[in-house]
Amino acid sequence: MKEMLKITLSLVAIFVVAGMIMVGVFYVTSPVRFKAEKKEKEEALKKMAPEADVITEVGKWNIGRKHYDYHEAKSGRRIVAYIATTAGKGYSSYVKMLVSVDRDIRVKGVQVLDHAETPGLGDQIIEEEWFLEQFKGKEFSQLALLKKPTKENIQAISGATISSRAVTNGVKDAVQMLIERYGGGIKVATHGVKK
Amino acid sequence: MKKVSYWAIFKNGLFGENPVFRLALSLCPAVAVTSGVKNGFLMGVAVFFVMTMVNVTVSLIRSFISPKVRIPAYMFIIATWVTVTDLVMGAYARDVYKEMGLYIMLIVAFAIVLSRAEVFASKNKLIPSMIDGMGMGLGFLLALVLIGITREFLGKGSLWGYDILHTRPLLIMVLPTGGFFAMGLLMGFLNWIDRKVFGGTGASSGGH
Repeated sequence: MKEMLKITLSLVAIFVVAGMIMVGVFYVTSPVRFKAEKKEKEEALKKMAPEADVITEVGKWNIGRKHYDYHEAKSGRRIVAYIATTAGKGYSSYVKMLVSVDRDIRVKGVQVLDHAETPGLGDQIIEEEWFLEQFKGKEFSQLALLKKPTKENIQAISGATISSRAVTNGVKDAVQMLIERYGGGIKVATHGVKK
Repeated sequence: MKKVSYWAIFKNGLFGENPVFRLALSLCPAVAVTSGVKNGFLMGVAVFFVMTMVNVTVSLIRSFISPKVRIPAYMFIIATWVTVTDLVMGAYARDVYKEMGLYIMLIVAFAIVLSRAEVFASKNKLIPSMIDGMGMGLGFLLALVLIGITREFLGKGSLWGYDILHTRPLLIMVLPTGGFFAMGLLMGFLNWIDRKVFGGTGASSGGH
């Protein structure tokens, strides 16, 4: 009985001290981390619309159950771009991206924020620069992934088809959402579009 | 206990009982993070820090821990130091954290960390335990870098992210399969050197 008490007390003592160390470190580091993460996000957004002087978050949207935000980029009082965070399901992770579109809802640029695709295969979506380049200037109806060379649509990277599809789908969802909110006159066939 | 010099303890972790090539412990992380030299190196640094701190802590409170509950106590000490590493890296080393963040928390489950706490730190004084942690940590780092060099050079034709060959000679080397190839070949090669040059037995025990 006495031994049991001793064991329990020594374990509890270790847990309490360890817990206090972790709380202390968290208390010191979390504001620094929060600030750094906020700054990174601002810089990433700025990269999507360098000509804008203010980028403000205007709302949230969702794919399935996941929530993402979207932003308006203004230069003076004129809107120069809409920017949305989005994601597509890849081979081994969700590929998180920023997509910016101009006032006609044509894609201005795509930036991958975070992913955990296979090194050497799936991560070519970043390393092969031509892949993200080809999204520039595309409108919604052109966002289809093909496995052959194309100027009209999006060409998949061989060896990274699933990751390419993740990017294309993510961009497509975002563009569709932005058309619904800002597109006005633009009509899109949102049904029966091949993904 | 027999008096052993600090240098011998330190060297033991690097060569005599190298965690990956000799003890064959923590092979899963050794395969998972070594698709590039940089990742292997950074992981090695994190493990080096965690192992040193865990060994120091366990050695300090070794008389306080009842042998019957030593494993949960060690696990909690390891988890604490890994969490501290994770939090500090997340705040002050953002670039590194973006690439390594996923893997840092996995250090909790590394067999090598627990095994050194159990085998060495729980039976030795503070300074030898610290040196053992550093030696083992450095040995692990060295092994990860070696495997990383082999895999990245053969798989991507680059080193530390810098393109050298401009082609990819053996893409399979950056995939998990290639990790086992690289590790096995290096282990065999080092054993061969050990036999030929130093006349050792070149043995290695099993683990995971």
